[in-house]
Amino acid sequence: MTILKKVKENLFLAIVALVYIAMFIINPTMGAASVKNSGYYIKEMLMIMPVIFILTALLDMWVPKEKIMRYLGKEAKAKGVFLSFVVGSISAGPIYAAFPMCVMLHKKGASIRNIIIILSSWAVIKVPMLLNEAKFLGPKFMAIRWVLTVIAITIFSWIAAKIIKDEDLPGEVLTQPGLHINRDACMGCTLCAKNYPEVFEMENKKAVTKPYEGLDLDMDKLESAIKSCPVKAISYNEGGEI
Amino acid sequence: MDVFTLVVWVGTIAFLVFSFAKDKMKTKQALKMAFGMGKGMLASILSIIFAIGLILTIIPPEEIAKFLGGQSVLLATIGGALLGTITLVPAFIAFPLVGTLVGAGVSVIPSVAFLTTLTMVGVVTFPLEKKEFGAKFTAVRNSLSFLFAIVIALVMGVII
Repeated sequence: MTILKKVKENLFLAIVALVYIAMFIINPTMGAASVKNSGYYIKEMLMIMPVIFILTALLDMWVPKEKIMRYLGKEAKAKGVFLSFVVGSISAGPIYAAFPMCVMLHKKGASIRNIIIILSSWAVIKVPMLLNEAKFLGPKFMAIRWVLTVIAITIFSWIAAKIIKDEDLPGEVLTQPGLHINRDACMGCTLCAKNYPEVFEMENKKAVTKPYEGLDLDMDKLESAIKSCPVKAISYNEGGEI
Repeated sequence: MDVFTLVVWVGTIAFLVFSFAKDKMKTKQALKMAFGMGKGMLASILSIIFAIGLILTIIPPEEIAKFLGGQSVLLATIGGALLGTITLVPAFIAFPLVGTLVGAGVSVIPSVAFLTTLTMVGVVTFPLEKKEFGAKFTAVRNSLSFLFAIVIALVMGVII
């Protein structure tokens, strides 16, 4: 990879580094103070970040999401709402990772309301994040904000479902036969490349498929790679059935 | 390390041991996933932290508190909510940051509005969301989230 490409990919980091260099030339005391200020957050982050990632991954792995998702249809009222909160609260990954999963759920019959609940709770009420919030802002602060947020999401998802109809969502796009990776959803966890390195590889922190034509696909390995993807970004379409 | 962090660590390690005893493969996958997620985010997290360090040196938290203290609460809250909408700071950096600000005397209400819109409303992710769900869905979800973030903040200001 060329240096220019690397700088382009980490443009923000490069800008911050430049400002620091300028700061140290113009005003070394302030530069030192900035590093010291950043040091506090780096220390705090290093103490909590590893556990948050591990806890998130463990929850994602152990809670039977597939089973829960079967109950998210329109008829499942209170139960569907409750389970949508559960799915959103335990899932791993940033909010944009939730988009493709929710589209898939909607195609399988989940209601608009439940999708909005999943998206919103995915964003604000992650369990490991609640622990982090309690650490820095106090358990009382966290608990009150959590309760209010759950109430707010319950109300506005109901309002939203009154405004948005199923037809407002874009229809299904016909896909070509073969393997597909939703690059917008991929968060670069590298699991697929580790599970089936003959077919998947990483490129610019995102998974891509290697040319696999003529290769005998090992369906077991492929299935385990598809299943392992935390954001369900991989799909396989067997030819001839479209 | 404070008690709270310690409890989280102990709990997670216990969960990890239990998980490992039950299913080695699954646990290994989870660890790989955690490591992959962390590695992918490290560069952007570090640059955000250094940027925050810089900003807090140029504008100390006490100054921010003084400035916001002079404004009307409603205005400061809408400002906090707007700021949360346009910025992309990972939540686990936002909590210690807001902790610093509240400690320096910034009112709780704008801080809560900032925290809620930060994660729930996304201008940066808007095009992505629109592509997947259509313009109407995205506009309705984001604007309702924004409104309710302000409501949550105001109610919290009354309770705390």
